[in-house]
Amino acid sequence: MAYKIGYIDPSFNTPEELIMAANLIPYRIFGDPTIDLMDANKFVPPNHCFWARNCLQRGLNGLDKEIKGIIITHACDCSNREYDIWFEHVSYDFYYYLNAPLKRDKLSLKFFINDLKELKFQLEEHFGVEITDKKLYEAINLTNEIRKLLKKISEYRNKGLLLGSEFHAIIKNAYKSDKKDVLHNLKEKLKKLEIKEPLPYVDGSKKRILLTGSILDDTEILKYLESLGFEIITDDLCIGTRYFHNKIEITGDPIKDIANFHLSKPPYSTEHPSSGRFDFIKGLAKKYQVQGVICLVQKFCEPLLYEYPFFRDSFKEMGMPFIFLEKEYKRDSYNQLTTKFEAFKEILGGVKK
Amino acid sequence: MGRHYLAIEQAYRDGTPTAWATSGTSVEMLYTFDVQPILPENAATISAAQKVSKKYIESAEDLGFSYDLCSYFKTNVGAMLNNAPIDLGGIKPPTFMVAADVICDTHVKWFQVQSQRYKVPLYIIDVPHVTSNTTNKQKEYYQSYVEEQMLELMDWISEITKKEYNEEKSREVITNSYELSEYWIKIFELRKTIPCPVSTKDTFGGIFPLFTMPGLKEPIRVFKKMYQETQERVDNGIGALENEQFRLLFSGIPFWYNLKFFGILEQWGAIIVFEPYTYSFGKFLDPSMSKEYIINNPIKAMAKIMLSFWYIYDLETRVREFKRVIKEWKIDGLILHNNLSCRPNSCGLYDLKQRLMEEEGIPSLVIESDMNDPRKMNEEQLKNKLESFMEILQKSKKR
Ligand code: SF4
Ligand code: SF4
Repeated sequence: MAYKIGYIDPSFNTPEELIMAANLIPYRIFGDPTIDLMDANKFVPPNHCFWARNCLQRGLNGLDKEIKGIIITHACDCSNREYDIWFEHVSYDFYYYLNAPLKRDKLSLKFFINDLKELKFQLEEHFGVEITDKKLYEAINLTNEIRKLLKKISEYRNKGLLLGSEFHAIIKNAYKSDKKDVLHNLKEKLKKLEIKEPLPYVDGSKKRILLTGSILDDTEILKYLESLGFEIITDDLCIGTRYFHNKIEITGDPIKDIANFHLSKPPYSTEHPSSGRFDFIKGLAKKYQVQGVICLVQKFCEPLLYEYPFFRDSFKEMGMPFIFLEKEYKRDSYNQLTTKFEAFKEILGGVKK
Repeated sequence: MGRHYLAIEQAYRDGTPTAWATSGTSVEMLYTFDVQPILPENAATISAAQKVSKKYIESAEDLGFSYDLCSYFKTNVGAMLNNAPIDLGGIKPPTFMVAADVICDTHVKWFQVQSQRYKVPLYIIDVPHVTSNTTNKQKEYYQSYVEEQMLELMDWISEITKKEYNEEKSREVITNSYELSEYWIKIFELRKTIPCPVSTKDTFGGIFPLFTMPGLKEPIRVFKKMYQETQERVDNGIGALENEQFRLLFSGIPFWYNLKFFGILEQWGAIIVFEPYTYSFGKFLDPSMSKEYIINNPIKAMAKIMLSFWYIYDLETRVREFKRVIKEWKIDGLILHNNLSCRPNSCGLYDLKQRLMEEEGIPSLVIESDMNDPRKMNEEQLKNKLESFMEILQKSKKR
């Protein structure tokens, strides 16, 4: 049985390839918006984001048996501070806090390389494996191939052949499964898409939108948006474009290549400078000619809450309809947003397609 | 404090460089370049003490900043929007800004927002997080990373101010900072005495030079005098409270708009004798930072301070340090402020409470409020909670 390393990452800076080269399966831990948070509430104060709290609850409830260690990757105060709580209350022999840098310059790159090397060392020591450059490049080639396929598949959202929610489920799966299976499934999916006729739902009444926000890991929220008449054409999410937008450039130093890859991805709101996030969204919105931008934020997600006025004003200046909504991390609460979304749909008005 | 704000006004009049800095960043580096530091957090506390923070916070919320964001940040945003005068916590856009993620994300996001708004250059220091299982080997490359950034910051400031870095000046500044902290820690040592000579009114009121003026000579004289007076009180057996019955620890930032609230403790003969928050700004607490070390390695020391800040200790170290404090300062109970503004501050409090009870038998009270937003303080509820807590303490002391 292949063992897994579970990782919590509010953005996406965890080196999957390093874990794979240790003969382990990287398994990104997502929340579950249907569970009760009783135990996590005993450890986490009420003003902390509910997504991170939910992941902790999942840990307290017990994760899959194959998971043999936990990595938590630096992004925001909630995830940072909750590492120690995981360490104290969720029992694993292997724990690593990855200090993914806040900045994206030469010094941070050097630091990130050091931290990745330390992770490599600790994985080797703990699991009694040797992570060679050869194995690292095998893993890199595999994830690069996956990214290439995902990029191709993502375009079918814009062709009316793939629902945003379907694509979301595909990426989520890619984060959790053995990458060899992922590759196989993606190839099959692409084959099917290539011969597929446009879906009947392209009836002109749907509103083409770009989806952004904090981590959105419940596919149901995308289905909910679709049920309201929105068509998710593109996104800048980590369970989305940020996962496959870039590829790992191969230079002969695999750890450095992985570090470089993460520091040159489109930025997230937890990084500095973060203004590039708007520029990236703007580029996507133009490229895919969306009619509006939906920004869905987890309640108490500070990094995003600080960005709101800037986003609002910048989209206004761009002439792009924009809605920013805070949401609870509870599936049965999504319906509470319906009135606001209906109003937003009205604003989007005429159909472009 | 007046002196600090006069110096700020003077700098604007003379057109000499000024910089906003978040607490925890190296103010010493700014003084090395004769840049006048301004700490928006500190200015925000003035707004609160002058009872105008609510108005400023609401202005920031009108602009779109959430009810749940840090109230220091919102006070600063609102004070700027309302052109607040200096005595109400108003400050002006500086020549440049320096922030770090050493204490919280807010610091980074705050300065991103304001530097963008006021078109002022910003340098961010990225300080890796030390957790319960960080190894010494990791701490070494964390230290190099921060050190390298300090050198980069040095060049950056040098370019803006058109001034060369001066090692002599740097030594002088860090030595002054060290001496200032030394007196502060000595005062804390004296607080171990029964009865405690200094109350929380004096420490919360006296801490500001540690934020804003570490590096200057004048505050050292003030602190030295404070220390001597404290020593005299100890020698004469004079306590800050006449009939000291209970010795408490208050963890977190106090409610600046209602500092007098702590007066309520007197009716039970209770006094706060230790605040991790004020203690942590006596920042040369890492035992490896001797005076000799900091004089010979000023930049390294500035980096080290950021990595060994008491205030952001990981849970394991925090529990250990709290236990030490409980013993040495003879603490009967803890009041832990679950600050609604502050995620880093509030996270881990429940574990702390539980472990101190289980392992030391020391009770804690968690109270929920906010340091600058009076809307989030329910005074009646707090009083009731305190009352019940004091009853518990009374009972446990009798036993
Ligand atoms: S939702 Fe926001 S606050 Fe929560 S973990 Fe993600 S970035 Fe952090
Ligand atoms: S109160 Fe907390 S969140 Fe606000 S600036 Fe201070 S440390 Fe940061």
